[in-house]
Formats: sequence, C-alpha cells, structure tokens
Amino acid sequence: MKAFLPKENLIPWLKDLSSSLEVIAPVDVEGEVVYQTWKGQPPVLIGNTLSSPIEVLMPRTDVLFRYVQDSGRYTFDEPNVPTRVVVGMKPCDLKAVAILDRIFGSEPTDRPYLAKRRSTLLISLNCTDPGPRCFCAIMGSGPGSLEGFDLTLTDLGSGYLAEAGSAAGVLLIKGCSSGLFLEADGSHEASRDILLEKARSVMAEKYEDRSVEHLRRAIRSADWEYLGRQCLSCGGCSFICPVCHCFSIADLGVPDGERVRCRDTCLLSGFSRMTSGANPLRSIGEMMRNWYLDKFEHLPERTGLIGCVGCGRCDEICLAQIDRWRLEVLDERSR
Amino acid sequence: MEKILTTCVYCGCGCGLYLHVDGGRVVGVSPSRKSAASKGRLCIKGWLSGDFVNHPDRLSYPMIRKGERQLRASWDEALSLVASSLTGMDPSAVGVLTSAKGTNEENYLFSKLARAGFKTNNVDHVARLCHAPTVTGLSYAFGSGATTNPISSLEEADAILVVGSNTTEQHPLVASYVLKARSKGTKLIVVDPRRTQIASLADIHISPRPGTDVAWINSLLNVIIKQGLADQDFITKRTMGFEAVKESVLSYAPEIVETICGVPAGVLREAALAYGSADKASIIYAMGITQHITGTDNVQALANLALATGNLGRPGTGLYPLRGHQNVQGACDMGALPDLYPGYQKVVDANARAKFEKGWSTKLPKVPGLTAVEMIQSAETGKIKGLLIIGENPMVSYPDRSSVRRALEKLEFLAVCDIFPTETSKLADAVLPAASFAEKEGTFTSTERRIQRIRKATDPPGESRSEWEVAAELLRRLGVPGDYSSPADIMEEISSLAPNYGGVTYHRLGAAGLQWPCPTRDHPGTEIMHIEKFPIGLARFRPVDHMEPAEGPDGEYPLLLTTGRCLYHFHTSTMTRRSPLLDREVPSPFVEVNPEDASRAGLRNGQKALVETRRGQLQLEVKVSPGVPRGILFVPFHFSEAPANLLTGAFLDPSSKIPELKISAARLRKVSP
Repeated sequence: MKAFLPKENLIPWLKDLSSSLEVIAPVDVEGEVVYQTWKGQPPVLIGNTLSSPIEVLMPRTDVLFRYVQDSGRYTFDEPNVPTRVVVGMKPCDLKAVAILDRIFGSEPTDRPYLAKRRSTLLISLNCTDPGPRCFCAIMGSGPGSLEGFDLTLTDLGSGYLAEAGSAAGVLLIKGCSSGLFLEADGSHEASRDILLEKARSVMAEKYEDRSVEHLRRAIRSADWEYLGRQCLSCGGCSFICPVCHCFSIADLGVPDGERVRCRDTCLLSGFSRMTSGANPLRSIGEMMRNWYLDKFEHLPERTGLIGCVGCGRCDEICLAQIDRWRLEVLDERSR
Repeated sequence: MEKILTTCVYCGCGCGLYLHVDGGRVVGVSPSRKSAASKGRLCIKGWLSGDFVNHPDRLSYPMIRKGERQLRASWDEALSLVASSLTGMDPSAVGVLTSAKGTNEENYLFSKLARAGFKTNNVDHVARLCHAPTVTGLSYAFGSGATTNPISSLEEADAILVVGSNTTEQHPLVASYVLKARSKGTKLIVVDPRRTQIASLADIHISPRPGTDVAWINSLLNVIIKQGLADQDFITKRTMGFEAVKESVLSYAPEIVETICGVPAGVLREAALAYGSADKASIIYAMGITQHITGTDNVQALANLALATGNLGRPGTGLYPLRGHQNVQGACDMGALPDLYPGYQKVVDANARAKFEKGWSTKLPKVPGLTAVEMIQSAETGKIKGLLIIGENPMVSYPDRSSVRRALEKLEFLAVCDIFPTETSKLADAVLPAASFAEKEGTFTSTERRIQRIRKATDPPGESRSEWEVAAELLRRLGVPGDYSSPADIMEEISSLAPNYGGVTYHRLGAAGLQWPCPTRDHPGTEIMHIEKFPIGLARFRPVDHMEPAEGPDGEYPLLLTTGRCLYHFHTSTMTRRSPLLDREVPSPFVEVNPEDASRAGLRNGQKALVETRRGQLQLEVKVSPGVPRGILFVPFHFSEAPANLLTGAFLDPSSKIPELKISAARLRKVSP
C-alpha cells in the first residue's frame, strides 16, 4: 500500500501514533539530533544520528530480570517491554535489524531481543541525502529500504511517499485520522526512484574502492600489528556499530539485584581471555582483525548477509582516528 | 527513552556525552558530536561511564555510627550531628576534604562552609596529591596554574614533549590529538621510565631514572642555549630572571646528566634539538612530574624550558598539566585549597579576605589552613579532631595507608559523603549518601579550563542527595546567609566573587562551554592564555637544581617502586570496578616487573610475589613486562584489597606538600605457594 503524507501533516500523524504507541523519533537535544521519545517537538528527519536507533531493540545495558531473595527462595521479575514505533530509521540501520533478526532469531532464539522486536514497529526513511561517510549503497543496504520495515518513507520535498511493508504498516496509514494521508500516484514513485538513484551514484562514485571484495583483500594484507599499536582500545567501533551484538552478562547485587547484559566488544582483551590468562587474540591488532573478519567473513557465512551496513559510524567515532576503511594505506614513517 | 547531554565523570579531558535513559535508569552512553573537546568520540571509560550509576551498592540513606555499627538515620539527624559535632570543636581542629568529583558549585559551597561556617581554612582536596606543584609552580612562573592551550591546539604543534604522562591510558582524548599530530609529522618526544604505548609510538623515548627530572630538563635547556635555539626576543620582552637560569644550567651538560639519569647524552641532545628547533612546541605532563619531593621544581624546570624557547601564548605551544579528575581544575578554581579563596585570591591578602567577608556576610579566619596530607598527619597527632570528607577515599588514595587508618580512627568525629561505601566511609561516624553526576545539575571545569554543564538524567537512589544540597543545608544550620534553589544560583554567586568566572552564567554554557578566564558577561572566554602578557606581567624564570629522591633504593630495599593507574580503572576504582566490562578487563591487582628482576627473584608471569617497603608489604600477581626498566616495580593504586599506598611514603615537596608517590625503596620476593 502507498500513500502521500504532506509535510504539514507529519506532526499531526505522529501525535496520532503517540496516542497508542510510544513514538521514538530523531529530535534536537541541546543542538544535536538523537533518537528519543517524541513529545511533540519537530522531528529532524535529515542526516543520520551518531547513535543508532537499534538501541531500542538492543540497549547498551539490558535488564533481563530482577531477582529478589526471600527466605532462601528467589523470585524473578522480568521488565515490561514497551510497545514502540521507531520513526525515521535509516536503511543502513534497517539492514542491521535484518542481520540481527537472523542471528537472534536462529535457534536457540534470543527471547529478550525478540520480545522487543515483536513489540516495535519500524518506520524507515529512505536516504536521499547520504552523509560524507555513508557508503550503504556499496554494502547493498541502501539508500532505499529493502526489508524488515513496517512502513518506509521517502522525502519528496513537499511531503513523504509512504509505502507499507507489513500489515502493521498498512494500519499505520489506515488507522490514523482521516485526511492526513493523500493518495500516492506514479509520479511520486518516479520521483523516489530519481532521488534514490542520485544518492546511490553519489556514494558509488565516492567510494568505488570499497567493494566487499576490495575490503576482504585489504583485511588479508593489512599490517594489523601497526594498526593495533595505534588503537586506543576505546571499543567505540563495537559500541556504535548497529550490527555488533556481542554481550556479556553480569549479576549486579547480592542477595537481591538484577541480571543485566551489556554490549561487549572484541577490542577488549577480557572478551577473549581464558580463565588461565591465555588469550587466542594475542594483540590489539589481532582483535581489530577479528572485528573485521566477523563482519566480512563470519557473519556472511552464518547469515548470508554482509556484517557491515556502510553507516560510516565506526570511522567517525574512532578515538585513534584510524581510517577504518583504508586499511592498506599506512603511515610510511612507522613501517 | 531520553537522551541527556552531560560531561564525562572520569578524567579531566571534559568529553561531552549523552546519557541514554530508559525506564528511569541509565542504559547507555554515546558521544556528543558537538562537544568542543571530544567531537563525537569517547574512551572506553567514557563509553561505560553510565555503568555504575544504577549499581545496587549505591548508598541510599544516611547512617550514624552506634558503637561498631552504622545505623540508618534521617537526613535531619545526620546533618544535625555533623553540624553540632564539627562546630563544637576548636575551628583549627576541623578540616574539610572536598571532592574533585563534585561540581564547581559543590566545591564552592564546601569551601564556603569550611571558611564561613566552621571558621577554618583547613580545606583541601585531591589536587594536593596530583597537581599542587603545578598550582604552586606555574602560579609563580606565569601567574596561573592552569593548562595554557586548548587540547585541540596540540594538532598544530611541530614538536610535543610528553613527560610523566601515560597519555593513551590516562587521558585518551589528549592522546588522540597527539597521535593525529604525529601522523601529520609532529616530532613526538616521550619521557617515561616505562615504555608505555605512547612511548612506543614516540620518535624519541627517554627513560630516565625516576626522580631525576630536573637534571634531564636542565640538560635540554643547556643544549638549547648552547645551540643558540633560545628565543632571545621572547626572553627579553616577556620574562625576567633568565640569566640566573642560564648560569645554573651550565653545569648540566648532557655528558654529566647521563651519569645522573642514565640517559645517553646523545639522546638528550637529540631531544633538546627536536624541542628547541620546533617553531611551535608543546609540553604535556602529569603525575610523573608532580608526585616528587621536587614536584614544584620539576614544574618550574619545564616552565623554564617553555619560556626560554618562547613556546607560550601561541597555537601549538604551551604547557598542558593534564588533570586527572574531571573537575580537579574546578575544585582548585573554587578555592578548595587552604591558602586560596575561589578565583585564586589569597587568604593572606587582606583585600581578598575583606571581599569574601563582605560577599559571605561573615568574619573569616586569617591564617591559611593545612593541606590534605597535613590534615591527615595532624589527625594522627591529635591536632585535627573532626573531618568532613566529601567523595574522597584517603584510605586508598593517600600515601602510607597504615598511618591514614590510625589518623582517621583517632578522630573524634568523621563524616563522609559519597556515592558508594568505601574503606574511608566504613570508618565514619556519619555517612551521607550523595547523588552521582548523572543525578544532578552543575558544572565541571576540564583540564583545558573549559566550564561545561552536567545535567540530571535520573533521580538519585533512595534518599541520596546532591552534595550542593548537603552543603547548603549545613550552611543554613550554621547560620551562614545564602539561599540557593539550584546550582545556577550558586554560579551567580561564584561569578560575583571569582574574577576568572565573572562572565559565566548557565545560559551561556552551550555544548562548547566556556573557557576561563571569562571575566565579563560579554567576554567570549579564553582559548589560549598568556598571548600578550602574563597575569603577573613578566613571566619568571627560576633556577632549579637536581636533588635525590627522599627514599632511593639501598642495600636493604634495592628496587624502586613507582605507582600509577591503568586505562580501565579510575583512581580508587569505586566506580570502574562496578562496571562489568572494566572490572573484567583488569580484575585484580598486580605488579609489573622487568624480566631480569623477575628471573633474579625466580618469578614467572602470573606467580605471586611479595612487594615490601619500609611501610608495609603486599602480595601481588607478577606481570613480567619488558616495558618496565630494570630495578623498577610498577603497582597500580586502584585496588583496595591490595592498596599500593600501604607501600608509599609521605615524603612531601616542601613548597606544594605533595607526597613523593612515584618513588619508594622496595624489595621483591617470591611467595612460596
């Protein structure tokens, strides 16, 4: 199903949605766009946020349950999962959801993830204005939304072309107050195709050397020990990545407390260190290499999808300012 | 789900971050792109800085000691007890240790509480153990003890000299700028006995014998002067006292210094040329310079070097004393020091005193108070009888733990305000639960003098309160005028009394904050200090001479123990050890030992060793590390179960009273399993 949402109807529509769902949308907080619960502010549907809205499905710290001890018996209390709709998720993050769905959805399935996934609607926004570090087109995850959305929007200037991807998505259009959506026609779709093709060609031209094959070759030939010496072990490339999903589990509190799982990173030695102290990843360089191998070799093997969605965030947040995607270009003076 | 922009609580870099709040708790952290210093990046501690906030160990109600136990009490009972106990003593017997983890507003109020409430200048904080020599040394040399340039200015340097700073681990953001500069061709000189990550990336790594900093710095200046690399124009127009320094460094030729420091003369010469011939050169330093009995002299030696080469007042130049706590700069600015009022106005200056007496509507004591370590030492001798400790853990962070315990146990009254139970709070007569950085409003001042806001993201646990509310309530009970409904009100008062904060108001503090000096409401703040003149007019050279450490190795204790930190923990690790990933990364205490020393003691990696000094002994896991020079042991001080400060001595620098934490004579032996 397709419909057209004039821009002036965007806020009324979100108001409509927020009467029955918690709307998570990108808004300006102290000068920067971040995803949070929408409370009537103008949503900022341009550019991508530094922190991915994937956190709605996979929070950095996730309380699995609370445990309370009473007379030697434990009772467990799982937190409620709120019903939410994410508005404006970019195709790169949407692709990440598709990868996570395959990982967490395969046996043994991951209940905490799936509970959130089932109670979250995703309204994506196709990318007509890719950022300077974006290369989703090269990774095949954008600029148009491919799968997993309930509704996808394309900014056509005067309004948004809305296309449903699920029954719930149809309801998002049909279930709202009448008159907000207009009928979409072929010219809307034609404009969408032109805009997305333009975005695709911008990225293709800029990053023609970033094909998966090219990156795989670079991973094989990079001087990992050199790169590892510069890494400042901030873990940011894992924490910011919408695809990175490793976690560790901790029980906080004795005798009562909570079991949490927190996003982990293979850039920490504790991630792979054995109890004996031995570590199969012997240096930071090997840990970095593992990070890339997971995305370009292991995840494709396991899920059939490339584990990088081309959002460019790891490049932006690297504390050591290592050019994450030009692995073969090394500083000559240190070699 | 909400995101709250705030400032990191760990080191002094002042990185901006968003706390992610969901269901009333902090569930994550992400960097802020708009942060002036960090520009969308964080270190591992920053990424995980929300972890400890919701930890169930948080103190959540006040407690009062009844015999051996600390029992739950109401705020009214606890605060009444604190007020009546401390006002019942002679003012000179009362002391306040404020917190470099607290906000500016909190430090200001506790400084006011000590002086206007308890009528004592016995107020100090952890800067005494980190940058007291910087405040003393650079105040003398330049008239201001703060970092001269913004962190981002490092990118413009042609040469960077990093001294006694494990920058990649302790100030990762600063390191990121150093590495960026290095990748563009900046010469990097690192001076550290250990081969740290930044040392391994340096063009020149100098590994001097600990405690010989004055000697090697003087030798650099010796070469620079001899080679005609001194900036005569700058020296003539901007400084005084150069001739005496020129005379004194004559005896520090590299060949002579080689015998003192153990660094080849050629390396010293190479470093001197690299620093001296750069058009723009910066100096970064930290505890490796300050925590010595010659701390103030070490700082002056570096100031001499920068002054003689004209490396001040321009982008890419300057001195960067890297501040360890996120608000240790602010705590100093707020006069949490025994001899200085807020804004570095001297207690002994009658005009300054009159100004604060008028501002605070009360009489103030005239005599400067005791420093932090002196307060503890005076408690042991019975001179100090009551202490109010805010967010500090001297049982783990101060030198000579055994004597700290004796001192605290001897007190007639000890009150501790903190977010977690600590080794220190366990000894307290009254425990006051505090709100963490995520649960209150206020400002922090970073190492680059940048005043930035923190914002409340969640409610504090249980009955715990912001420290500014505790201070305000105590002031009220002591009858000191002041009516504060929020930290913004307190900042109003600060800006009326501290000239360097004169133009600071909350509504001016956007994502980029403001860098002091900011004297007026229309002043844009100061990025680079000392551009045209120094606060004291002409900068002052002062000749300094090498002096041997207080307790060097000897026959009985042949090794040299030095203490420090690691990337994954912060200070006494009350916060970082409650973060699952940080705790997992470095879960237990250790001693780093050079392979030769290890094999001499029959020790292998992972085995237990006994490290002994004249003050105590610790059993520690051995990490054999070629990065530690022969004869040196390195022990991080994070771990309360194996507190490094059981081993350290309280030998003080005579000017700044900082203890020589970096050097203790020690011995090492294997523990039979």
